Amino acid sequence: MSGHQDPVNEPNVFEKVVDFVDERVGLKTLQAKMLNEPVPGGSRWAYAFGSVLLFIFILQVVTGILLMFYYVPSTDHAYASTQYIIHEVDYGWFLLSYHFWGSSAMVVMVFAHMSQVFLWGAYKKPRELVWLVGLALFGIVMAFGFTGYLLPWDQRAFWATVVGVEIMDKTPLIGDFMARFLKGGPTPGQMTISRFFVIHVMVLPAALMGLAGLHIFLFRKAGPAGPFRGTPEELKAKTDYFFPRQIWKDIVAMASVFLIICSLAFIEPVVLLEEATPDPGDYHPEPEWYFLFLFQLLRLKIFGGEFGQFLGSIALPGAFMALLAVLPFIDTSPERNIFKRPASLIGWILVMLMILVFTVSAIINRDFLD
Amino acid sequence: MQPKLAAKARCSDGEVGKISKVILDPLSREISHVVVSEYSGQRMERQVPISQIQEVPNEEEVVLRCSVAEFGQFPVLDRDGYVTIHDLEIAHLEDNLHVEPGEILVPYPRLEQGVPRRSFFANMTHAIGALIALPFVYPVLKFVMKPMYRPFDNEWFSVGNVNKIKKENIGYQFKFRRGFKEVFMPEQQIEKNIWVVKATPEVRKAVYEGKDKKFHDEKGDIVWVNKANAPYIGFSGKCPHLGCGYKWRRTKNYPDGVFLCPCHLSIYDEAGKVVDGPAPRALDVLPMKVNAAGEVKIIDIEYKAGVEKQIRLL
Repeated sequence: MSGHQDPVNEPNVFEKVVDFVDERVGLKTLQAKMLNEPVPGGSRWAYAFGSVLLFIFILQVVTGILLMFYYVPSTDHAYASTQYIIHEVDYGWFLLSYHFWGSSAMVVMVFAHMSQVFLWGAYKKPRELVWLVGLALFGIVMAFGFTGYLLPWDQRAFWATVVGVEIMDKTPLIGDFMARFLKGGPTPGQMTISRFFVIHVMVLPAALMGLAGLHIFLFRKAGPAGPFRGTPEELKAKTDYFFPRQIWKDIVAMASVFLIICSLAFIEPVVLLEEATPDPGDYHPEPEWYFLFLFQLLRLKIFGGEFGQFLGSIALPGAFMALLAVLPFIDTSPERNIFKRPASLIGWILVMLMILVFTVSAIINRDFLD
Repeated sequence: MQPKLAAKARCSDGEVGKISKVILDPLSREISHVVVSEYSGQRMERQVPISQIQEVPNEEEVVLRCSVAEFGQFPVLDRDGYVTIHDLEIAHLEDNLHVEPGEILVPYPRLEQGVPRRSFFANMTHAIGALIALPFVYPVLKFVMKPMYRPFDNEWFSVGNVNKIKKENIGYQFKFRRGFKEVFMPEQQIEKNIWVVKATPEVRKAVYEGKDKKFHDEKGDIVWVNKANAPYIGFSGKCPHLGCGYKWRRTKNYPDGVFLCPCHLSIYDEAGKVVDGPAPRALDVLPMKVNAAGEVKIIDIEYKAGVEKQIRLL
């Protein structure tokens, strides 16, 4: 509605400044374009996941930058500086714990977001590229989790990295190079911290920002998919713009997630184990919970031996990601209703069950070890 | 059939006005209404459904199905109920909308006219860009690879005394500290561990199969030989499955004790052979010497985990 104002009053200074900027930047048009996106079939809570992810990421950036005020990425100071953040710096424990739980929230939200898109059939034509870029973003989020985990340089961090890098080493042809590249040597040490640090705070954020921008651009270009049921008339009757109803749902979801992360930071603040060293002592190495199912999978005998290990740690996850990547190109039926796509529904349930069963059995196995 | 802006709107019984605006459905991206600005009266803008258009005989004219009187019944446009397409994002809007008065042309600047090799210049730009990047590839690769390959460390470390081991064929852990010098960093003390078994002849046979075990440096030269009849055998503390640290444990199934890795539950017997779990090879025997006083020295070799063959890393 720009350019349609009644010249009742003279604009005040603030309005003059806004107009000055707007004339040069086109802010009002930009804002209007961002807010006035038609949401076919109307706003829904299920559409909030993407916005929540962006929100969590922004707070990860903020808390991450703050942690770098004190953190020193070196084998002789990483542990001490992290302990200093936790025990000495005012609210250091909170910011670190927020960052820690925020990363878990990010992974949970990525799964929710991907599940929603999958179940709604929203990866189908014309949104194939949105889906593909989304998969790359999924990889980046997991890489964030993996690289960030090492930085406190305690036993938990060290051993998760040792095993994680050994797994990558099993990639055919480039595995050995990749593992040495990440470790910055034959065994983990200073070079590993340096590399994980720079990947965690420079490379991945840049990649994520670029790809998330592309993701949103492609999404806006294709338009929201809307619900998978309903006639065009029904959809039209319920359609609204992104603002205000969807933004309202998004902001409520963001606030809820924020409260949950804060509560977790209060209830379960980060506590470090002993400083990292190649002797695990009494510690039973374990990855972060969202990698537990993969960890438990590798305990199976069929994934034992050199070939079995390649199968379980590289081939199977690789094939699964490849399947997700080609999904929009092999699943070309325009049917989006999940209840009319039995293979997709059963596949999704099976994958979720598999993750759940293996995660739970990994947790049960802990007792057996003690 | 799409009406042009500023076309005259004619009813069956006379002209009523000009088309001043069109209204678009954001979901179907089709025009749903035309807005006709009346000639008569207060020059109201009325909203006419697209279905009311009977024909578009030429670009200047639109024929409506209704009469002039019926036209007066169409609702007056409430401008505040709409935004313009500049304030809205609709995917592929341009592809569906043809209300401009034909193509709008912009001439090339004078200097650009008659430049026949525009694609040549485009390709040149890419080629020069690639040539700028090319000299960086090798230096960058070498730059990041600097610490990745290190010569093997064949230094002997003292780890403890075998007098502490009272029983045969059980795993006994020696923790030791060693200096670790990495790139520019000052030397740091790191804690490591190895497992030593005081082996009976049967276990020795299982480990060495009657042959002395030779250890090589990167050139293939022998740095040390473990005698097949040496009573003490040292195993690297790194699990050959995926590199965790294993322990000596007595379990329900193995009351005499086994080496058990808590990570992925690989199980090895006192000779280091895999008895259960996913490990691809036996525990790694280290170069070890025990002097007359029982002091144990080892070379702290590390092998790559997860593969059947021993591939030395350190």
